Amino acid sequence: MAGTSSRKSGSAGTPRPSSAETDLVKEAEATRASSGYHLIGKRTPLIDAALKVTGRAEYTDDIKRPGMLVGRLLKSVHPHARIRSIDVEEARRLPGVAAVLTGDRYPTPFGVLPMTHDETALAVGRVRFLGEHVAAVAAVDEETCERAFELIRVEYEPLPVYDDPKVSREPVPVKIHDRALRDTNLQKEVFQHFGDVPKALEGASQKVKLSGKYLGVTHGFTEPHCTIAEHTPDGRLTVWSATQVPHYLHRSLSEVLGMPMHRIRVVKPEVGGGFGGKSDPFPHEIACAALAIETGRPVKVLFDREDVFYLNHGRHPTQNDVTVGVDGDGKFLAMDIDALLDGGAWSSFGVVTTYYNGVLAMGPYRFDNFRYHGARAYTNHPPSGAMRAHGGTNMRYTVESVVDEIAARMGFDPIELRLQNFLPPNFKTINEFRITSNSVRQCILAARDRSGWEEKFRKLPYGRGIGVACGFYISGSNSPIHFTPVFPQCTVHLKADMDAGVTIHCGAADIGQGSKTVLAQVVAEVLGIRMDRCRVAPVDSDTAPVDLGSYSSRVTFMMGNAAKAAAENLKVPLLQAASELLEVPPDRLEASEERIHVKGRPSQGVPFHEALHKAMETKGALVASGAYSTKPLGGTFKGAKAGTAPAYSFSAYVAQVDVDLETGFVHVENVWAAFDCGRPLNPLAVEGQIEGSIHMGLGQLLSEGLSYRGARLMNPSLLDYKILTPMQMPKVECLLVGEDDPEGPFGAKEAGEGPLVAALPAVGNAIYDAIGVRLMDLPITPDKVLRALEEQRKKGGAVRPPAPTRPSERTPTHGGR
Amino acid sequence: MPKKVPVRLRVNGEEHELHLPPQRILLDVLREELNLTGTKRGCDLGTCGCCTVLVDGEPRLSCLMLAKLAEGHQLTTVEGISPAGALHPVQRAFIDLGATQCGFCTPGFIVTAVAFLRDHPGATRDEISRALSGNLCRCTGYVKILDAVEAAARTLAPAQER
Amino acid sequence: MHLDAFDLHQPTSVEEALALAQRHAGKFDFLAGGTDLIPNYKMHLNVRPHLISLDHVAELRSFRPEAGWLGATVRLRNLEGSSTLIRRYPGIAEAAEEIATPLVRASGTVGGNLLVETRCFFFNQSYPWRQALGFCLKADGDQCHVVPQKTRCYATFSGDLAPALMVLDAHAEIAGPGGRRRVAVADLYDPKGDGVRRTKLGPGELLVGVQIPPGAEHLKAKYSKLRVRPSFDFPELGVAVALEEKGGKVARLEIALGGLETYPRLMKAQTAPLVGEPLTEERVKALSEDLVKAVRPVHNTFLAPDYRRKMTGVFVRRAIGALRSGS
Repeated sequence: MAGTSSRKSGSAGTPRPSSAETDLVKEAEATRASSGYHLIGKRTPLIDAALKVTGRAEYTDDIKRPGMLVGRLLKSVHPHARIRSIDVEEARRLPGVAAVLTGDRYPTPFGVLPMTHDETALAVGRVRFLGEHVAAVAAVDEETCERAFELIRVEYEPLPVYDDPKVSREPVPVKIHDRALRDTNLQKEVFQHFGDVPKALEGASQKVKLSGKYLGVTHGFTEPHCTIAEHTPDGRLTVWSATQVPHYLHRSLSEVLGMPMHRIRVVKPEVGGGFGGKSDPFPHEIACAALAIETGRPVKVLFDREDVFYLNHGRHPTQNDVTVGVDGDGKFLAMDIDALLDGGAWSSFGVVTTYYNGVLAMGPYRFDNFRYHGARAYTNHPPSGAMRAHGGTNMRYTVESVVDEIAARMGFDPIELRLQNFLPPNFKTINEFRITSNSVRQCILAARDRSGWEEKFRKLPYGRGIGVACGFYISGSNSPIHFTPVFPQCTVHLKADMDAGVTIHCGAADIGQGSKTVLAQVVAEVLGIRMDRCRVAPVDSDTAPVDLGSYSSRVTFMMGNAAKAAAENLKVPLLQAASELLEVPPDRLEASEERIHVKGRPSQGVPFHEALHKAMETKGALVASGAYSTKPLGGTFKGAKAGTAPAYSFSAYVAQVDVDLETGFVHVENVWAAFDCGRPLNPLAVEGQIEGSIHMGLGQLLSEGLSYRGARLMNPSLLDYKILTPMQMPKVECLLVGEDDPEGPFGAKEAGEGPLVAALPAVGNAIYDAIGVRLMDLPITPDKVLRALEEQRKKGGAVRPPAPTRPSERTPTHGGR
Repeated sequence: MPKKVPVRLRVNGEEHELHLPPQRILLDVLREELNLTGTKRGCDLGTCGCCTVLVDGEPRLSCLMLAKLAEGHQLTTVEGISPAGALHPVQRAFIDLGATQCGFCTPGFIVTAVAFLRDHPGATRDEISRALSGNLCRCTGYVKILDAVEAAARTLAPAQER
Repeated sequence: MHLDAFDLHQPTSVEEALALAQRHAGKFDFLAGGTDLIPNYKMHLNVRPHLISLDHVAELRSFRPEAGWLGATVRLRNLEGSSTLIRRYPGIAEAAEEIATPLVRASGTVGGNLLVETRCFFFNQSYPWRQALGFCLKADGDQCHVVPQKTRCYATFSGDLAPALMVLDAHAEIAGPGGRRRVAVADLYDPKGDGVRRTKLGPGELLVGVQIPPGAEHLKAKYSKLRVRPSFDFPELGVAVALEEKGGKVARLEIALGGLETYPRLMKAQTAPLVGEPLTEERVKALSEDLVKAVRPVHNTFLAPDYRRKMTGVFVRRAIGALRSGS
């Protein structure tokens, strides 16, 4: 099992390298193995797995506090209405009710981005979507809360309902928020133009424009949101919450409750999945704290599944148009994008989303002319927000479909066309992204070779097809959301004590992706000790240094670098102590095999614990800190920081499908997923991210979608919102071919979000190869496939696309860069 | 005062005598009365599989079962799958093969898989995926879960022909 | 989510259950596996103050596939796992195996699936959701939102076993205050009803079990189900076919459809003319077209009604093809 990072899922997989002499995956593994790390790069089971498989891991809802009350939130029954009055007196008098709160109690607006605070703990004077919370009740049990709801009289004055972002773009009689742009309901608009797009398109020999339409999708984590708050007589507030970003919650609690941050303690228990859906500070978290303050007793707010759908903050319903012009040789000349996003009722991460839908569109390709117009509209839908591969998914599907279409129209093999247009490593893009490591070439060649592309592309029987797509994503956002005060992106504290264990404190949130394990791996690698000496302390704002949280695929890169620095700092006194014991200068010593010893000679040294105890003689427990801050990156134009990252991940996926021509069902048979995360620190976890991303991507592609009639969400349940089952997963082969990144910890880059983006268009392009129909309206449900097939038959019969006609030579697996 | 009835439950080999309103759901009683919080609440409506427990050895959804109707049956939760200090081969394989990420669906998968392999020790990957098709996981894409259950099947039935 | 308070009754015989039903007339539900009723109760859909659990009624658990008898509280899991059933009545085993998920089937019962509550986007929602809409004809309101009017409910019949039993001419045994009676499963449902009350079971009557008639085991039978995911989902269409051919001609052909309308339907009018005829490709095609014309799904499930109609034809053709080729 150990030592291989290319694995197929499914015992019946058929790997068939088409060029026997070269295997990029094996070569990448051999290169990595030569560095001789004892933990980095090893398939490492997650350090919390034993607790999880035995039911012992503690999630927020598993916590009980003495005298704890149940908190519940009353939902609005109007999608858009003024609240004329709320009468809660009768509810307050109901036996068993400890407190009833309404929005006027803590009306301070908040939000994840400092510039767009438009959420409140409870609705203040107005509701903006069905399911928004208008009152909070704390009572002895859930039944009493619901009886109290029946006694709360809310008088609403209905307002015009906006359920279409196209309408929100025009002048409107009623603005959903005062801060909407001009006289419209637009929340944010972005214009960017580099080079001269109109001119370049005019000179293009081929222009392809496709329009994509995407239903909103939601994160679908299995753990519903849950928060517990307790206000103790010492004046401190403790909040346990299922959150990806304890620090933003900490700030928002302080701002809204008017309580200094040092009196608030935020604890993150185990989190049952996030995917972006637990990365905003949320109204229910603040309402829960407010109830705890009001009652003086611990209060738990647990969402039911329907509440989770209303809180949403998922991927934006999107319409986008992408035009690409190419010259006669297939060189990409210009890209022009227009995107309209349905932001729902609040801003959330919307400013970032609006930028990302444009600025992340070009990579992994080189363009010298680029224009983007993006707009995010307020509507009376539940709020959209950040979801895995935030801003990079819907746009990527349209872009990769356009590239596939160009190849089809011009007679190129789509892999060859892409190879001609990739960004090189160490390059500055037209929008001033600094590209450093970039193995997209190796990715696409590895996926080509492993998938048997050349025997299959345009050659499978009608109804079966193979497709390719590439991906590009940030490895951590270079610009933190909060600029003041200035502090590092991530900090790690270490403490080594008499027991010869190392305690790791870090604010980064492990939400299942395995960041605790990476922390332990990195620290143990540097100190040359076994991983079980490292224990990762729970994320608790009283003890953990501030981290900006688990989003924008930043944790491995930033936390990894901070942890590495901290461990290097902890090693200094250990080497000094060993030097005294061994009478050898510290610069001739190293740490490995649980010893501090003369470089290359483990026998000439002292055990780790002896060096530690010596070092502690005068100082006591050793403590060390390490931090990581990004370098300044990006241009000086408006919005130049959006999408800048210290590194980028790249990918190329090939998918194979079988389409039922009579029913329209798409069966995804295989995905060959070549991914460049630099050096994978834990290949087992990286594969898990890739496989999970493919599951999530195929769900959005084939069956998931938030379905509205007007402003009413029709499918707020796991029965009607259709997440794929185990029986629908394709065989997945993960191909990890990245080279070391110069700035990543041990050469690593992100693998949490980037693995999603290529999955959808690879399958979409495979469907095109199978049946000659390009489906741009997601999800691609069987009825849509069938309708497209029928239209195709009307136009002259079932045809698969023509084979490439360009006499292009096959790019060799090696050379020719 | 809500009407209560005596409810006697046998969970993980232990007897519990409780007094509960008859409408109390087994999942709620396990979590809230017996502090067996390994059994998770993902949807409360039988659509995710996180709350799966064994009733006389059969995996059932505890969110859809009245606690009173669990009387007279042997209940096993994830806490009772393996003796203290030991791991069931399915649990071992979940750890080693990376089959748990956030872990919230994991107890449901473990319990379902343990029961399935007991009855189908030589199961194939397709049979396993069918048997687990009432459990949703959002993190893993199921690939490593199926790897783990397949590996456990081999451990449990080394002599069986496959 | 919690349930409203109720009294739980646990009779040990059919007679005791019927007596309880009479005592609490109009204020009770029978509870079998609970996989349909409990979620509905959690969403406060038509809850009653008395639940009569059938768990301890031994007679209802009787499972004798060799004699064609399926007791009402036989678990669905037992059907799919019974080699006798699979051999004698493959269509029923197929239908059982396609219901919901393995976990639901471990609790769900034969009777529960036959009498499963009809489903609709506007009905299977939480209390606050329905409250925001102003409720619907089927629960707490008087307006249908699928076909706007106030007299008939258009929720979709979503059981899988009924069509598979109907094509075998299975009969339901019903116990009531007036004794026991048997009625064809095909006649268990009431097409003339308002859609809210969807079966011909009397208010105090209890389904005891289902009898498959002798000879049915000689029919070739198949059930296929349209749904987006291969587990979890209720049928968007269920097609059951039973076929017997003699001397190259149809001796018997039955088709029943579920998942399309408020009731499962045995499509006698479309299949009867084929008896005595050779089952040519043209006839199968014409039959499937007749069936497509005969069904009227509405837009209250995941897939569009016109698609579900089209698929009726495809699924019928495929099912007949599979039966004739023996696959």
